[in-house]
Amino acid sequence: MQYPEAIAKLIESYMKLPGIGSKTATRLAFFTIDMDEEDVKEFAESLLAAKRDLHYCSICGNITDEDPCEICRDANRDQSKILVVEQPKDIMALEKMNDYQGLYHVLHGVLSPMDGKGPEDLNIAPLIKRLQKSEVNEVIIATNASPEGESTAMYLARLIKPAGIKVTRLAHGLSVGSDIEYADEMTLQRAVEGRQEM
Amino acid sequence: MYLEHLELAHFRNYDSLALDFSPQTNVLIGENAQGKTNLLEAVYVLSLARSHRTNDDKSLIQWGHDFAKLSGVIQRRVGRLPLEIVLSHKGKRAKINHLEQKRLSQYVGQFNVILFAPEDLGLVKGSPAGRRRFIDMEFGQINHQYLYNITQYRSILRQRNLYLRSLQRHQAKDLVYLEVLSDQLSGFGAEIIWARKNFLQQMSEYANAQQQQITQQREQLIFNYQTVLPTAEIQSSEQLYQYLKEQYQKQQKRELQQGTTALGPHRDDVSFIVNDKNVQTFGSQGQQRTVALSLKLAEIEMMKAQTGETPVLLLDDVLSELDDLRQTHLLQTIHNRVQTFLTTTSLDGVARDIIGQPTTFTVSSGKVIH
Ligand SMILES: Nc1ncnc2c1ncn2[C@@H]1O[C@H](COP(=O)(O)OP(=O)(O)OP(=O)(O)O)[C@@H](O)[C@H]1O
Ligand SMILES: [Mg+2]
Ligand SMILES: [Zn+2]
Repeated sequence: MQYPEAIAKLIESYMKLPGIGSKTATRLAFFTIDMDEEDVKEFAESLLAAKRDLHYCSICGNITDEDPCEICRDANRDQSKILVVEQPKDIMALEKMNDYQGLYHVLHGVLSPMDGKGPEDLNIAPLIKRLQKSEVNEVIIATNASPEGESTAMYLARLIKPAGIKVTRLAHGLSVGSDIEYADEMTLQRAVEGRQEM
Repeated sequence: MYLEHLELAHFRNYDSLALDFSPQTNVLIGENAQGKTNLLEAVYVLSLARSHRTNDDKSLIQWGHDFAKLSGVIQRRVGRLPLEIVLSHKGKRAKINHLEQKRLSQYVGQFNVILFAPEDLGLVKGSPAGRRRFIDMEFGQINHQYLYNITQYRSILRQRNLYLRSLQRHQAKDLVYLEVLSDQLSGFGAEIIWARKNFLQQMSEYANAQQQQITQQREQLIFNYQTVLPTAEIQSSEQLYQYLKEQYQKQQKRELQQGTTALGPHRDDVSFIVNDKNVQTFGSQGQQRTVALSLKLAEIEMMKAQTGETPVLLLDDVLSELDDLRQTHLLQTIHNRVQTFLTTTSLDGVARDIIGQPTTFTVSSGKVIH
């Protein structure tokens, strides 16, 4: 038997999400049919709104509904430090610990020729420009502890250090290979406090 | 240590299986293509989280199914330990004592096995890649740091080769990134070479002792490690790191032309010298087999020395490949000391006087009868 077209389409859409195969997609699709109409409406509208209202901050690359983002606009934050992360969700994790007061910069990935990502493909040139016309005296690199995260950190250090700006790397109290996204707040706090000069 | 209990679900031609083993010799008897090697392979996978005969984990899953599950209980001096591996199309998961391990390099090393298959008899004569794999499997089981360094090295090497290729084709131009990759590669490369040097030195002594015993003192075996390590002046892995970095700088032009990494431990090899001659080129087939056997027995001794536990020995069809003298030496060395799994199509020609009363299992189309 074939699924009615509406269901088949819904399954197909779910399958476009990362980590979802046909089995899970089918389960989700049938679940959606059983949901209240109100809830489904809200769901559909949030999907659209997220796509319509969110963009990348033109200064730091974070996800935001206003440009520049809330963090970049906040004059009370410490303008002398920039913490560099791989993804916007890393900022969420770091902000949750409520301890770091400086600014951020999102690379949107790491150097990885295997995934077709060279230096020009990351949000690096804007970072260098940003440093040239600012009062930043420390760049804290918080890429993950994967081999690619390490290459990216070393690469940035080589670009930035000659300008006389201090470059530090998160102390990986984070176990090797673990991601910022999944680290708990205590571990993150220790990692930021114990950062080491590169 | 020994494997006390094994359960399989949807592994190769085993739909479902649960077996208890003897701490001594377990003989698996069966016709061709019934699943004897598959069973040894299962024990191997439980130990090393990968197969010895394929890199493709999916081929281990029974046809028509979407996962394979292997679980076992091992006995060590410190007590029992349950292990579990699940292979699926999404990847593999490994549990020690019911706890999922984040990294496979953390899983490997709990349960040590040594496999001896007919292919190993060709180790001496075969390709350098085969010898490197042998070294990595052996040392990786004993030393987590080594295994970790190898995996890191491999992934940086892959990235570096791809990047060199795009530089070669002028699709990329940033040499700073190349230097970063060279630095990283030098770091892990130096650790690997340094560890191999020390390991091989130790293992060489164990292997020589075995070789002398098998040949009644007639043959002396020495390992010769071939790597980028220049002679005496380098005294530490730190110095080696500096040396490798310089070498990558010197070779940059050549590497950019060829689009691939010119030197490093991925090009290492080891040769075996018997009575001052390289057995690979000058040895008889019998001598090469003796060296292969000495190597395997040396692995057992070395693991014992490093971990305090005797590993489990998997002998796949090798007895029939060894002559009486070597067979006797092998069986005497392991008898009553090492849990052994041995596959054969029949017990004829096996020196039964030495194994005594083995526990036998009959293997027939994915079923095992005790
Ligand atoms: N993924 C799989 N699913 C089901 N069956 C498989 C799978 N992979 C291999 N087989 C089957 O397993 C059998 C081979 O088993 P195995 O290699 O263990 O044989 P063996 O008993 O060691 O034989 P020999 O004495 O020839 O070495 C073959 O019949 C093959 O078709
Ligand atoms: Mg076989
Ligand atoms: Zn911003």
